[in-house]
Amino acid sequence: MTTRSFGETITTAPKERSPARSTWQRLWSANGPGYLFLLPWFIGFFGLTVGPILSSFYLSFTDFNLLNPPKWVGLANYTRIFTADPKFVQSMRVTFFFVVFSVPLKLAFALGVALLLNRGMKGLPLYRAVFYLPSLLGASVAIAVLWRQLFAGDGVVNDFLALFGIQGPSWISNPRFSLWTLIILSIWQFGSPMIIFLAGLRQIPQDMYEAASLDGASKWRQFWKITLPLLTPVVFFNAVIQTIEAFKSFTPAFIISGGTGNPINSTLFYTLYLYQEAFGFFRMGYASALAWILLAIVALFTAFSFLTSKYWVHYDD
Amino acid sequence: MTTDVHRLTVVTEETGFTRFRRRFGSVIAHALLVIASIIMLYPLLWMLSASFRPTDEIFNSGLWPSEFSLDAYFRGWKGLKVSFGTFFLNSFIISILSIAGNVFACSLAAFAFARLEFKGRKFWFAMMLGTLMLPYQVTLIPQYVLFLNLGWVNSFLPLVVPKFLASDAFFIFLMVQFFRGIPKELDEAAMMDGCSPWRIYWKVMLPLSQPVLATAAIFTFIWTWDDFFGPLIYLNDMRQYTVTLGLRTFVDSTAESDWGGLFAMSVLSLVPVFLFFLFFQRLLIEGIATTGMKR
Amino acid sequence: MTIRIDRRQFLMGSTALLAAGAVGVGPALAQDTRMRLIFWGSQARADRTNGVTDLFEKANAGTTIDTEFLAWNDYWPKLATQTAGGNAPDVIQMDYRYIVEYAKRGAIAPLDDLSTQLALKDFDQDQIDGGKVDGKLYGISLGANSVALIVNTAAFQEAGVDVPGPATTYEDLKTIGEAFKSKNVRGGMKAFQDGSGVEPALENWLRQQGKALYTADGKPGFTAEDLTAWFQLWADLRDAGVIVSADEQALDTGPLEQTMVSLGKAAVTFANSNQLVAFQAINKDKLTLANFPRLTADSKGGHYRKPSMFWSISGSSAIKDRAAEFVGFFVNDPEAGKVLGVERGIPCSAAVREAITPTLDEGSQIALKFVSGLGDLLGPLPPSPPANAGEVATALLTKSQEVAFGQQSPTDAGPAFFQEASEILSRAG
Repeated sequence: MTTRSFGETITTAPKERSPARSTWQRLWSANGPGYLFLLPWFIGFFGLTVGPILSSFYLSFTDFNLLNPPKWVGLANYTRIFTADPKFVQSMRVTFFFVVFSVPLKLAFALGVALLLNRGMKGLPLYRAVFYLPSLLGASVAIAVLWRQLFAGDGVVNDFLALFGIQGPSWISNPRFSLWTLIILSIWQFGSPMIIFLAGLRQIPQDMYEAASLDGASKWRQFWKITLPLLTPVVFFNAVIQTIEAFKSFTPAFIISGGTGNPINSTLFYTLYLYQEAFGFFRMGYASALAWILLAIVALFTAFSFLTSKYWVHYDD
Repeated sequence: MTTDVHRLTVVTEETGFTRFRRRFGSVIAHALLVIASIIMLYPLLWMLSASFRPTDEIFNSGLWPSEFSLDAYFRGWKGLKVSFGTFFLNSFIISILSIAGNVFACSLAAFAFARLEFKGRKFWFAMMLGTLMLPYQVTLIPQYVLFLNLGWVNSFLPLVVPKFLASDAFFIFLMVQFFRGIPKELDEAAMMDGCSPWRIYWKVMLPLSQPVLATAAIFTFIWTWDDFFGPLIYLNDMRQYTVTLGLRTFVDSTAESDWGGLFAMSVLSLVPVFLFFLFFQRLLIEGIATTGMKR
Repeated sequence: MTIRIDRRQFLMGSTALLAAGAVGVGPALAQDTRMRLIFWGSQARADRTNGVTDLFEKANAGTTIDTEFLAWNDYWPKLATQTAGGNAPDVIQMDYRYIVEYAKRGAIAPLDDLSTQLALKDFDQDQIDGGKVDGKLYGISLGANSVALIVNTAAFQEAGVDVPGPATTYEDLKTIGEAFKSKNVRGGMKAFQDGSGVEPALENWLRQQGKALYTADGKPGFTAEDLTAWFQLWADLRDAGVIVSADEQALDTGPLEQTMVSLGKAAVTFANSNQLVAFQAINKDKLTLANFPRLTADSKGGHYRKPSMFWSISGSSAIKDRAAEFVGFFVNDPEAGKVLGVERGIPCSAAVREAITPTLDEGSQIALKFVSGLGDLLGPLPPSPPANAGEVATALLTKSQEVAFGQQSPTDAGPAFFQEASEILSRAG
């Protein structure tokens, strides 16, 4: 049976039917269902999203201090970003470092724990909840205090290290290590991708494993030949989403550094810098330019991911 | 037939050694999980303990409080002119409405992208993904002006209505990935029976997608519960504030803050989210035991 | 047909009713005003503020005041967003740092024409001047404060040294530091925080030399050599163990709870005089106020009485008159003053000060006496800061951290910071 889905113009209709349909009717039966289902999204997109997005693009070519109408300045913002802005370079460095280290580690933990939990052991719901709990703290102001209690010079982590005779520095307030405390914070909240991996694992039909067992396949083979391939859509999703989120990461740095990005801008995430420019220094036009540059980078990365995905992601369709 | 039975028997016989290896592996797994759990929970335990302490002790004592006091909880609850009960109610309303909107609208859109052919599908999919990539700080002001012109500011509308219009591209993308993992043969079988796209969506897709719908519900609840920037900008009246916004007013860097109250209310604010998660995660378990039977 | 007539009759009837209603209700509606107020602070400040709005509402039937408050960090984005949308509240709490931005862009209204409603009688002149931008009045000071050191008296007792006083110089800090070290107070508590990144401390230090942070036309009032000397001063103190180390100071990201005194890492921290009460609430030890150190025994004029914060009126407010009446009530009425205390600063009206002095608690009394007892430490009010002053302060903090962590020497940091500050100031527009 060849795969067909709704929308393909049905040209093999029985001849007893009514005379040839008009172009509109054909177009409608071809595209109608698709557009109908998308209707809410279209309304939202055109009504609520497109306007502000285009607005922000326009703003990136202006000098807009929020209190007065925007003033056109052409490419001045972009020029300054690429030639005369050390903070831009610094924030790029910080953000890339964060993405490169936090995303793979986070996904590894998420997948590892999800696989562990998928065995269906005793106490599974409890464990699952425990691992998800940190993610619930989200944007809480309390996190800043917690993290300081853990990673300050006299914090809990150093107390722990002292048991082994190691004298740790003040992780959170030392420019060499402060970013790592944020990476750890991000990894600590691996609950979200973990849940998604779990849902994906649960969607793999059990009878596949049974059939494989009957054929004498080992657990390891089953993992490589069944689990991983069928999980690739979810792995792909998590990888793309987590990377996008990591590029846009704002709240942890904002809360822990008090909005400063210090010490010495070592925690100056790109969106934090953007936020400072927009609301701290009344340069919304410049901030918009920064935002669009980020969008371009993230879009490039995402496009690249999608293009290369056909080499390793297995869909059932 | 007989060969299968024979094989079955072979597979289910376990030597003593294998059993030991299995148990041992299980013990290791449990041990790892317990250690990991302690590490994961330590910061939260600290916060819990801090919520039972007087304010001037919070920052310079060890993990165990010298005196247990529920004072911070009472203080925090009544702390602001508007009680936290109101904040909790507001957060609930917004979160529940957002879940309804998200689950419904995003699954519709995802079904279209994953299962229906139509002109420009790839283009609109790219557009949809694009909305994920722009930091919200820059669409904030234009969006605020838009909602101001609609007269929606100082109400829940700017926070909830976009959900019904599938504004959370994250979930559309998530559901697309899941829908594409569901075998198309089921669609075709339904089509043979003369089902319209709507019936396929409603009778085939959705029931099989419980894990991802549950996931979407959980995430929506937690994210709207934790969201502070939206409520910050769009809610003027303190009686409409959400829990997260209320928590932030506890701590002001220029004047006196109530850290004990903050921690107490933070702990309390975790409770509904946690309960919601516990309740819905069962749907994640009872997943697809039945996929593929209709072959 | 009957229906149509009825409908028309109904329409006419209701229109007549409405018209009559409008006329009849007219005068009453005109008296019914709804005022919106926004400020930053904590619940403690909100309670006081609401106490005053209640008083005003009682005295002015028909007026309702909706108050809204936020934490400092959230206040400015929200206010900026509302202003950008043309939706700002009528009465806005304003800060010294931002008042120039808002005034120059017309987001807040000049108050010179509202003097009858404001009715400032015995208001301190320097506080009135403090609220002026380019010669026009834009904000009414809600209280005077001055920079001050928060001092842990208990720690000083243990060290066996006197708390800093009017005669303390930067040189004396070394002796104090020695005492703390030799007595090993609290197992390693240092005497002072690292003040190299504290903009008010730098300003105070420059003023004692007859210089200033900014000139009246918005240029740096200091030289690169000044900054080198400043960074060197603190580097010496750091090497001598008088002040906390770099990574200890970096723990302070702004909130009072993260300052060196509250964390127990130092016995002295730089702050403002009206924050004593707030500091005391989170510290077990007894705290007091002291002045910033002198440069030499006879240098003076570092401090100044600055407005701690202002009430401004939104440029787009439809009820500027009413709003001005409220502001006037807030700062002039003795009953209101009693409710407010000195939480926002020392009241600027002599009559209000007199009325509240007997009602103040110990911490507030200390704050009150401190500002009035500064003597020759007090100098004139500087010109209002230029538009990007906030950015310069941020740059100073970052630069001071670079020096503290050894990434740049004071000799290089001085010119580098001067360069950066000049660039920032020239971007203002």
